[in-house]
Amino acid sequence: MENTFNSTQDYVASKELLASVNVAIALQKPLLIKGEPGTGKTMLAQAVANSLGKKLIIWNIKSTTKAQDGLYMYDTIQRLYDGQFGEEGVDDIARYIKLGKLGEAFESDEQVVLLIDEIDKADLEFPNDLLWELDQMEFYIHETKKTVKAKHRPIVIITSNAEKELPDAFLRRCIFHFIDFPNEELMEEIVRTHYPNVEENLMKNAMKVFYDIRSIRDIRKKPSTSELIDWINALQIGGISADTLRQNLPFLGVVVKKDEDLETVRQEIHY
Amino acid sequence: MFLKFFYACKSKGLNISLGEWLDLQNALDQGLCESSLTQFYYVARMLLVKTETEYDKFDMAFEECFKGVKPEFEVGKTMLSWLDKPEMAKLLHEEEKYWLNQVEEIHVDKDDVEEKFKQRLKDQDSEHNGGSYWIGTMGKTQFGNMGGNVGGVRVGGTTGYQSAFSVVGARKYRDFRDDKVIDNRQFQLALRRLRQFSTKLDIPKTELDINATIDKTCNNGGYLQIEMQKPRKNAVKLLLLMDSGGTMIPYTKLLNELFQSVHKSNHYKEVKTYYFHNCIYSKLYKTPECENGDWIDTEWLFRNTDRDYKVIIVGDAAMAPEELYSETGNYRGPNGGLSGYQWLQLVKKNYKNIVWMNPKMAPGRAPWREAETAVKELLPMYKLTVAGLNEAMTKLMSNK
Repeated sequence: MENTFNSTQDYVASKELLASVNVAIALQKPLLIKGEPGTGKTMLAQAVANSLGKKLIIWNIKSTTKAQDGLYMYDTIQRLYDGQFGEEGVDDIARYIKLGKLGEAFESDEQVVLLIDEIDKADLEFPNDLLWELDQMEFYIHETKKTVKAKHRPIVIITSNAEKELPDAFLRRCIFHFIDFPNEELMEEIVRTHYPNVEENLMKNAMKVFYDIRSIRDIRKKPSTSELIDWINALQIGGISADTLRQNLPFLGVVVKKDEDLETVRQEIHY
Repeated sequence: MFLKFFYACKSKGLNISLGEWLDLQNALDQGLCESSLTQFYYVARMLLVKTETEYDKFDMAFEECFKGVKPEFEVGKTMLSWLDKPEMAKLLHEEEKYWLNQVEEIHVDKDDVEEKFKQRLKDQDSEHNGGSYWIGTMGKTQFGNMGGNVGGVRVGGTTGYQSAFSVVGARKYRDFRDDKVIDNRQFQLALRRLRQFSTKLDIPKTELDINATIDKTCNNGGYLQIEMQKPRKNAVKLLLLMDSGGTMIPYTKLLNELFQSVHKSNHYKEVKTYYFHNCIYSKLYKTPECENGDWIDTEWLFRNTDRDYKVIIVGDAAMAPEELYSETGNYRGPNGGLSGYQWLQLVKKNYKNIVWMNPKMAPGRAPWREAETAVKELLPMYKLTVAGLNEAMTKLMSNK
């Protein structure tokens, strides 16, 4: 296969994840990625784009985002102003049609990677409104009576934090992958891609404490990969000795973000 | 292909559509499974299962189809250390592998191998490398690792690739099953289903409809023409009644989380919370301590809340029959001349939508839990889990 995704210099992916990206590319279906916050869902798209040497288009979803926003916007107000001031070209509606991110991906002259980030943030019905567009990779602009069709089917990656259930009809069209929390081996590899020169002892102790914190049962927000990476960075910059790590728990606020958790961690982790 | 697997998935409760199944066939056609069972497992999973809560069901279906049973024998730590001999691999050549295989029975029958394996596991007491009978490395028996036998049982050693069955066997997605009892965040999400935007209701148009105004104005040649619309506000009113009786103590944390979720999701028009002890009688308590005096009349509540309140009752319905049927009161105070059952009937009469959430509901009819069965017949009862709460919320929003 010409389009095959592999782990890149700065992104380490598990075998299953690689398989799902490649199957999604081969079957030309959107890839839906779920997982704990901080497991690198969004970074995946960047890595896929880098690895395949394609342009990445990011569509960030917010609670107010409508499906229409991704397709195109008809700037009626601009047209109204232009009309009132007798501007040139008001007759030409096409001048006031602005493509959204999805439209941009369709119009692109070469294949792109389209990331629809945090799709669960939007309204419950949002994914349903995109079914046709993602299936057929085309949409119709009513105002100009034109159909925008993808010149090259984009590689679509969708991330979700599982805040909302996604509709079945939408799920059926996707390939699904749940990013597991990395085990220690993979985690070490991930940290090393970020900080290749981290001192062995520091790394070992920090990882140990990190996994201990994650295993505390009544912790509210478990720290994730990105927090470990930040922590190790902080420890390096702070020049903290690896041996006193567990006693002092320096920069704990980087790992644990909630007040009540800080308390619990201090009690549980101390010898 | 693999139709048996399709039906196994269906029977485990996975709702797989024909389209998804055809996608899998397509993937097989394109050789995406690389003739490997493990790869097939991942590809099938990513195409057929669309939520991590169902990974466990899939694992079980996969196991059922591609392997009869899990081996029940265990391999001791000592034996595994005897087998961890990577250096032995260098000694082995392909031709040797070939003749190694000729020695013991070529006829490999899975049950037979397992049986013998168990037997030898019991008898063996030392390390063996290169033998022809005991479990060890480099051997020609069907047991051990790095051996030449094709149909044997692999014991320990390192492996570069996790096999599908060790993934399946671990059942590590069990925690994601959505019939698991839930936490605060998931509660809040489930409660979000309780939405009814008042645009559907009969109220005056009080908000400026910007889009329609612009459209109309544009169509009007640029002369302003205002359009109004109904405000979009959640019109749902919620009444939460929680059991705080003795049998509910193990669920305090759970109830606390439910309570917090309801109050955090502050998008309801109104939320009222009251407590009761085992069953609803003439008084409802204002605090979970259920102290005498700190209460309101249940009938007052009926009078002061309209039928549109969505009622969620949380309780385990675990009470003695007399607590449900006696008309003369109990040690908790008066019942106002009506039995608990009759009070529940009144509640049912007073509100259009009621659900009962039970943290330890028995499945189906449970004759040994008389009170629960009686309550279940009166009010729709759901288990207090993600799936249960979702079902209950759907029920609350329906008009029946």
